[in-house]
Amino acid sequence: MLVSAGDDEIPVEGKEETTTRVLEAISCVLERLVTRNDRVLSSPDPVRNSGKGLSVFQGVRAPSISISKYLERIFKFTSCSPSCFVVGYIYMDRLVHRHPDSLVGSLNVHRLVLTSVMVASKVLDDEHYNNAFYARVGGISNSELNRLELELLFLLDFSVVVSSRVFESYCLHLEKEMKWNGINQRIDWNMSNSTGEETEISVGDTIQSSSPNAND
Amino acid sequence: MAAAAPGQLNLDESPSWGSRSVDCFEKLEQIGEGTYGQVYMAKEIRTGEIVALKKIRMDNEREGFPITAIREIKILKKLHHENVIQLKEIVTSPGPEKDEQGRSADGNKYKGSIYMVFEYMDHDLTGLADRPGMRFSVAQIKCYMRQLLTGLHYCHVNQVLHRDIKGSNLLIDNEGNLKLADFGLARSFSGDHNANLTNRVITLWYRVIMLWTDLQNCYLELQNMAQLSTCGLSDAFLQSFCMENQFCLGKTRMNMMGLSHPFDALALRFFSQSFDMILLHMPEQLNKIFELCGGPDEAIWPGVTKMPWYTNFKPTRPMKKRLREVFKHFDRHALELLERMLTLDPSQRISAKDALDAEYFWNDPLPCDPKSLPKYESSHEFQTKKKRQQQRQHEEMAKRQKLQHPPQHARLPPIQPTGQAHPQLRPGPNQPIHNSQPPVVAGPSHHYGKPRPSGGPNRYPPGGNPSGGYNPNRGGQGGGYSGGPYPQGRGPPYAASGMPGAGPRGGGGGGGSGGGYGVGAPNYPQAGPYGSGSGAGRGPNMIGGNRNQQYGWQQ
Repeated sequence: MLVSAGDDEIPVEGKEETTTRVLEAISCVLERLVTRNDRVLSSPDPVRNSGKGLSVFQGVRAPSISISKYLERIFKFTSCSPSCFVVGYIYMDRLVHRHPDSLVGSLNVHRLVLTSVMVASKVLDDEHYNNAFYARVGGISNSELNRLELELLFLLDFSVVVSSRVFESYCLHLEKEMKWNGINQRIDWNMSNSTGEETEISVGDTIQSSSPNAND
Repeated sequence: MAAAAPGQLNLDESPSWGSRSVDCFEKLEQIGEGTYGQVYMAKEIRTGEIVALKKIRMDNEREGFPITAIREIKILKKLHHENVIQLKEIVTSPGPEKDEQGRSADGNKYKGSIYMVFEYMDHDLTGLADRPGMRFSVAQIKCYMRQLLTGLHYCHVNQVLHRDIKGSNLLIDNEGNLKLADFGLARSFSGDHNANLTNRVITLWYRVIMLWTDLQNCYLELQNMAQLSTCGLSDAFLQSFCMENQFCLGKTRMNMMGLSHPFDALALRFFSQSFDMILLHMPEQLNKIFELCGGPDEAIWPGVTKMPWYTNFKPTRPMKKRLREVFKHFDRHALELLERMLTLDPSQRISAKDALDAEYFWNDPLPCDPKSLPKYESSHEFQTKKKRQQQRQHEEMAKRQKLQHPPQHARLPPIQPTGQAHPQLRPGPNQPIHNSQPPVVAGPSHHYGKPRPSGGPNRYPPGGNPSGGYNPNRGGQGGGYSGGPYPQGRGPPYAASGMPGAGPRGGGGGGGSGGGYGVGAPNYPQAGPYGSGSGAGRGPNMIGGNRNQQYGWQQ
């Protein structure tokens, strides 16, 4: 496992198990968020959905792949450090706080996750894949991902620094969320089994994606 | 809100970012060229304020937003200090192709540009030093050195290693302020428990020792935050050395050794291109360093033989330390500081903070007040290089036409400030240069109880310890930022009368003993002012072989 530590993070235990737990916690938190927001969005009152902040991330229909599978996929192919997922989650949280009228829903969550994790990896990891590769992993086009990256950076006003204190508090938060959801019993959940063997997915609406083969 | 139709991304919507457009600025002149784009001098139309715009090149689609830019922005956002360049904002340009045309799949290709807006600085050190007839007075050198070290110390306190200090990245304004710029290679090292400071970023010789000795060392040692200082030391050493080298050797280095100096940042250009080349030449560079500082052994560096790199890179033959020989024209304080900066063992090397407390800064001539420095016409490396090129072309043409050309010294005359009489023009090739700065206080040379010129706030950046942080008597006064304890009860290292020649110090530290200034001679590294670096090999995300990534992302 090629995990390089980023420079603004505290060391996590850095074992496979930790990674699984991190991914699980984040997907759990995100799924809950998305479910709740989707309910808000489908309610007759459309006021809540007027925010422009995240509109670039919005797709037409929700991709069929679940959030947890999507996270696993990103982790499996890009080998970014687990901290990137936490930091990516922090970025998404910052985003939502900066643009409170935007909701993370099933239409935009995939693109948001992909872009945030990629940016986190760029910020933290010494070795990381380029955008082109992330695009293939994530099932969107390179140029779209570039656009989303810029969008994210500017929405965050380039505040991509995560201090170790902040990082730690988010970790605690995620941990707690997991406990409340009773997920901690599933810690030994085997990630590789549940990761779909498919190498091609499409998150984009019409864009054909193919195997995230780094050679091209 | 309408979601985008299939295949489209809501491009018709105006960017949701709150950033301003580059149209708020009027570009005046290009002042630099770097790895990730040009640097322009520009005027903000509304306020008339002069700024520097550093363009971030966005044309490598596969890489997206350049990682060096992300890191630079990230680091600059947390550094606020008068000796560190200030990033004012980030602006965008919509680009030539509007979204309306780009409805197809590549419609979301971002065609515009992104610019970082910096405060404008009139010069970079390389450009300034390269001005015809330019020479720095000792007091001026000390003034710059102190600002450099102050800025460095601030960076280190904030857990940032600059890693690319060189003349063209040190910006100087006409108030005499010096600021560190170009943090594209910088790295924060806070919780970096793996100390994953990649050794692949080396592009210049003077970085070699840092990465191959110190960072390997850090790799072992930097398990916890308590050891940060070690890391800081290495940075200070290199960076200061580079400075010292540039300042003190001045133009004489060529004569001095008959070859260009191994550390000489100015002669490194050829080496900045490829990673493979660097690896190839690594031992050679290390050897040059060992030739100067002596080969590492257990006596001068306990534990060195156990370093993982040692077997591969140990010197092939025993080497003696030649520092004092090579720099024999330095005065003793400069030499002492240099020696402490060039200590191989990082744990014994002086830190930026302690360097500020060195005798060098506390003996005549004292560092001058930045404001008292002469003002010069703007000079950036990019421009001087261009001018030199033009000059050369011109000369060639002239040669062909067999015409005589007037000497080149007429260009860029210094604008002399009132009052301060710095002898800016070199007094002539073979004439020994004496203290070019009139002694601030005439009289006995001992430093105790001597009034410091314009002491206090002006001489020390605020945030330091303005009211007497650098107490001449060093009675346990704090200094630098933290006001931390300096070695107390230290006796004066030199008796007052022990200084050789109370007055002029034989050109020590001041640009060498004259002569050797050839106009087109030095090979400056390529990067422009406001940095942006030194060639394709840089960048922390060079990819390991198994990652199938191209190196080409920076072009």
